[in-house]
Amino acid sequence: MSKYKIPERFSFKDINLLKQFITETGKIIPARVTGISASNQRKITKSIKIARFLALIPYTDMHK
Amino acid sequence: MRKYEAIIILNPNLSSKVDNFLKDFEKLLKDNSFNILKTEDIGRRQLAYSINNHNKGHYLIFNIEGDSLKLSEVENKIKYNDTIIRYLFISVKEHSGEDSQLLIDSKNKNNDSESEENLDKKAQEKVNIKSDDSSVKENEASQVKENSEENASNNKNETEQDDE
Repeated sequence: MSKYKIPERFSFKDINLLKQFITETGKIIPARVTGISASNQRKITKSIKIARFLALIPYTDMHK
Repeated sequence: MRKYEAIIILNPNLSSKVDNFLKDFEKLLKDNSFNILKTEDIGRRQLAYSINNHNKGHYLIFNIEGDSLKLSEVENKIKYNDTIIRYLFISVKEHSGEDSQLLIDSKNKNNDSESEENLDKKAQEKVNIKSDDSSVKENEASQVKENSEENASNNKNETEQDDE
């Protein structure tokens, strides 16, 4: 069983889901670690990058 | 016709003027023959990092559909608007139609803060009651002290009398 609840559609607005796929320092966790399908990993990655631009999740923990 | 999602982050200092901005923006969209399917006012939110020295932002999300050429005109219009600290237009295949997780979270937060306020009030009342109790106890204690002092003074008097 996967430890993630994968929804049917990914959205940059579901921050709590996206936060499971970034490290404490804000990096995106690679697919070889998350273990989700390549297609889902691409969607997650895209959502994370949008959420970062909109200041919903940080790019890094070095922000002032 | 394409479907878009517009996300706009407003300057938090102008939160009170959101209604004016909403009117202006909706008018701008309608002038450019956009249909507004849904508007979500998320409210003030902590930004994950500061943008132009702002730590908070007022988030608005619009579900719109319209022409892609007109969209660039809208974008040009709002580019130099000082009240907007960040904006993003995303083209989507389908609008979900449901409330976004952000809106639900912000609503929950508001409810939580309200309930917390209620809890605070209750806690304060409890503290008041407790303080009443303790003050009563203090009174009793002081009375007891006074009594003991009186006794002591009486005893002293007695001893003095004995000396005589």
